[in-house]
Amino acid sequence: MAAKLTFSKEIANLLYAMHGNPIKDCIQCGTCSGTCPAVEFMDHSPRELIAMIGANLKDEVLHSNTYWSCASCYYCNVRCPAGIDIADLMYALKRYSMWKDQYKKDLIGPKFSESFVKMIMRTGRSFEPVLAPSYIFKYGTRGIIQEAQTASALVLKGRLPLLPKKIKRLENLKRMVRRIIPIGEPS
Amino acid sequence: MSEKVGVYICHCGTNIAKTVDVEEVALWAGEQDHVDVAREYKFMCSSLGQELIEEDIKEKGLTKIVVASCSPHMHEKTFRTACVRGGLNPFMFEMANIREHDSWTTDDREAATLKAKALTKAAIERVIHNQPLEPLPVEINPNTLVVGGGIAGISAALELAEAGNHVYLVEREPSIGGHMAQLDKTFPTLDCSACILTPKMVDVGQHPNITLLTYSEVEAVGGYLGNFDVTVRKKARYVDEEHCTGCGICIEKCPYKVVDNVFEAGLGARKVIYRPFPQAVPKYPVIDTENCVYFQRGKCKACQIFCPTDPNSIDFEQQDEILQIVVGNIILATGFDLFDVSQIPQYGYGRLANVFTSLEFERMVNASGPTDGKIVLRDLETPPESVVIIHCVGSRDENYHKYCSKVCCMYSLKFAHLIHERLPEAEVYNCYIDMRTPGKGYEEFYNRLLEEGTHFIRGKVAEVSDVARIEEEEGKLIVQVADTLISKQRRIPVDMVILSPAMEARNDSQEVSQLFRMGCDFDGFFVERHPKLDPVATMTEGIYIAGACQGPKDVPDTVSQGAAAAARVASFISRGTVMMEPIRASINQELCSGCRICNTMCPYNAIVFHEDSNVSEVITALCQGCGTCVAACPSGIITGAHFTNDQLLAQIEGILWDVRSNLDLVPVE
Repeated sequence: MAAKLTFSKEIANLLYAMHGNPIKDCIQCGTCSGTCPAVEFMDHSPRELIAMIGANLKDEVLHSNTYWSCASCYYCNVRCPAGIDIADLMYALKRYSMWKDQYKKDLIGPKFSESFVKMIMRTGRSFEPVLAPSYIFKYGTRGIIQEAQTASALVLKGRLPLLPKKIKRLENLKRMVRRIIPIGEPS
Repeated sequence: MSEKVGVYICHCGTNIAKTVDVEEVALWAGEQDHVDVAREYKFMCSSLGQELIEEDIKEKGLTKIVVASCSPHMHEKTFRTACVRGGLNPFMFEMANIREHDSWTTDDREAATLKAKALTKAAIERVIHNQPLEPLPVEINPNTLVVGGGIAGISAALELAEAGNHVYLVEREPSIGGHMAQLDKTFPTLDCSACILTPKMVDVGQHPNITLLTYSEVEAVGGYLGNFDVTVRKKARYVDEEHCTGCGICIEKCPYKVVDNVFEAGLGARKVIYRPFPQAVPKYPVIDTENCVYFQRGKCKACQIFCPTDPNSIDFEQQDEILQIVVGNIILATGFDLFDVSQIPQYGYGRLANVFTSLEFERMVNASGPTDGKIVLRDLETPPESVVIIHCVGSRDENYHKYCSKVCCMYSLKFAHLIHERLPEAEVYNCYIDMRTPGKGYEEFYNRLLEEGTHFIRGKVAEVSDVARIEEEEGKLIVQVADTLISKQRRIPVDMVILSPAMEARNDSQEVSQLFRMGCDFDGFFVERHPKLDPVATMTEGIYIAGACQGPKDVPDTVSQGAAAAARVASFISRGTVMMEPIRASINQELCSGCRICNTMCPYNAIVFHEDSNVSEVITALCQGCGTCVAACPSGIITGAHFTNDQLLAQIEGILWDVRSNLDLVPVE
C-alpha cells in the first residue's frame, strides 16, 4: 500500500530534499514569530503557518501571504530551537504554490519572483529595469517619477547599463540551477 | 565425550516471534550435531520456561544449554541459575541474542530468521567447548567514598554512616552544602532551604562515621569493586583545622574584599579569607591565595596578627596534603553547572544591566544574601515595577541543550510567588513554552500562581532589548515575544528580566568519568546502568551515581537518589563478599618465554614477573579479565577463561555455517 501523500508530507519532503530538519520537530514555541521583522505584514505568523501545514490546511496555507512577505533575513533560522530552516520553508512554499498555480493572485511576490528567476536564467545577472514593472505600479504616480529620476541618474553616472549583459558560460549556470531546483527550466 | 545440547528459542511475546520464524529455527536447531532437544517457548525467562530447562537437564541428561532470546545483560543470570538448579555448572550455558541483535533491527522475516539461525549455531558450536568454572569470592571493604557534598552526597553519606559504615565525603569547595545552600525557598512548599539543609550539614560535620574532606579533590582511582585505592588532594586552607575555633575574627579583620563569583553568583562580595556562608560546615575559613595581599606581595598578615588562638591557627606555610584511602564502593554526586546565559546574545545578559540569572535572583531574595532579601535592580536600590521571567534559556534548544531541565518551570513559578509576596504592586510575567509541573503538589502550586495574578504568556522570548519604539518603552527593557495563544507579537516593557538557565553537566564531567572509568553521555551527564530499573548504578561495578550529575533533577529526586545509592552500597557491605565472574587470564608457566610484554600492557597491574624462574604470572585477585594480555602474548600461551581460542574459533565457524556449506570449505584443523 502506497502511503498517502498529504500536503504536510509534500512540504516535509521538500524540506528533506534540502536536508533540513523535519517541520514535524516544531514545538510551537513562537520564537520565529516573535523574531520576525515582517510579521506585521503577514496574515498568519510563521508559527501558525507551520501548524497549518501540519493540520493539512492546504488552501489556507497556499493562499496566505506569509511566505511572500518573508524578507529572507534568516533570523528565525538562527534562533529556532528545533533547528528548522524556516526561511527555506518559505522558499519551498513559494515554489510549490507556483508549480501548482495556487497562490494569492493580487500580490507582488509571485510576479516579481517569476520575472527574477526568468531574468537570471536568461542572462545570469540581475537587471533592475526588467524587474521594475512587477512592483513599480503599486507606488503611485509620485513614486514612479521618483524611481525614474533615480534610474536616469544611475544611467548618467554609468552605474546602470541600458541593456542587460550576459555572463560567460551561461549554459553552465543553467545546468547548475536545474540540478538544484526543477524550476530552472527556461521558459 | 559426546555432548548433549539443549537449545531453547524464545518468542519474547511478539518481540522476537513477529520477525523471526521461531518454529523454523527450533526445528532446524534440532537437526544440528550434538543437539539433543530443541524447543521454542513464549517466554523462556518465565518460571515455566526456566523449569523446562531444569527438567530437560534432569530427564534427558543434557550437558550444555543454549538459549536464544534477549541480551545477556537482561537474562544471562536467570538462565545460568536455572542451569545450576538443574545440576549443571553455570558456565555450561551460552546465550544467543536474537532480539536486540536481530528481530528489533529489521522487518525482513526471511533475513531475520537466517540471522537467528547463524547466532544460534554460533552459540551451539561455542557451548560445546565451554568449561566448568567456579566464581571467585571478593571481599568488600566496608568504607565508602562519596564525591560531592551537595544534598545528594550529604543524603548518601548520612544514610551509610547511620547504618554504621565509615564514609569519606570529598568536597571541592571549602564547605559542603552545594547549590541547595545558595537557594532561598524550595518549591512547592516554600520551606526555607537553609533551615532544612543546615541540620543535615551539621550532622555530617559531627558524625563519628564520616571523615569530611572539604577543599579536596580526587586525583586518582585504582582498583575495583571491593577495593578501590583513591588518592585525594587536600588543598591547603592556610588555616590549621586542629586549633582554629571558627571564631571569624580573621574574616572580620581582613582588609580586602573581592566579588564572590561562586556562592553569591557575582552579586555580593566576600573577604579574601572567607567562609562561603555563615552556616558553612566545616566552620574553618580558607585563604584565597590569588587575591591575598600577603601571598601576592608579602605584606599584611592581618589575619595572623588578630588570630586569638594559641598556637596561632593561620599557617601561611601550609602545603597541599595527599591522602591515600581504600574504599569498597564509590558514590559520585558531583552535581551540575548552570548554563552560561551570555551564550545567547539576544537575551542581553552582561550587556543589559537588569537581566539577571536565576542564581543571582536566588541570592537576591535570600535573607542572608547581598541585598538582605530585597528585590532590587542592579543599582541595588530601586525595586522593579515589572518583571519578566524567561523559561527554557538554553534548554529544549538544538543550539544549546536539547533536553528539558525539569526544574526551571517550578522555580520560575516560585520566583513569581516571591515577587508577589515582597512587591505586591509589581507585574510579573512568565514566558514559557510548555508549563511542566509534574510532581506532588506542583500543579497545585501553579494554580496558586494563577490565582495570585501572574501573567502567563505561552511563547519563547525572541529577544530582550533596550531600544524603545514608543514612549512607554523609554528606559525600560523590552521583551519581544510571540504570545502564541492569542497569535500576537508582543513587546512588553519591564524593569527586570530573570533568565532560567538550563542545568548542565559539570564542565569537567568528561574527565571525572574517565577518572572513575565509567560512562558519560553526549551532554556530559553520567550514564546509569539501566534508565528505569537501575538508575543509580553505573556500568562499572562498585561505582554509583546520585543527583544532578546523572541528569537534571530537583531536590526531592536528588535526595531519593542519594539514599538509593547508599542502599545499594549498604547491601554490598552487609554481604561482606561478592562472587565475581571467574573470567580471568592465566599464563601457562611452562611455555612462558619471560618476554614481559604482558607486564606493561596490563591496565590493572595484575601481572607479576618472577625473576628467579623467568616467567610471568597473573594475580587472579587483581585481574579483571579484559583480555589485553591474551591478545598481546607473542607465544599465545595466555588463556582468558571462558574466552579460550577453541571457544571463539568455534563461535566464528558457527556464525558462518551457511557460508561454509555454500562454499564447500573445510575448516583447517
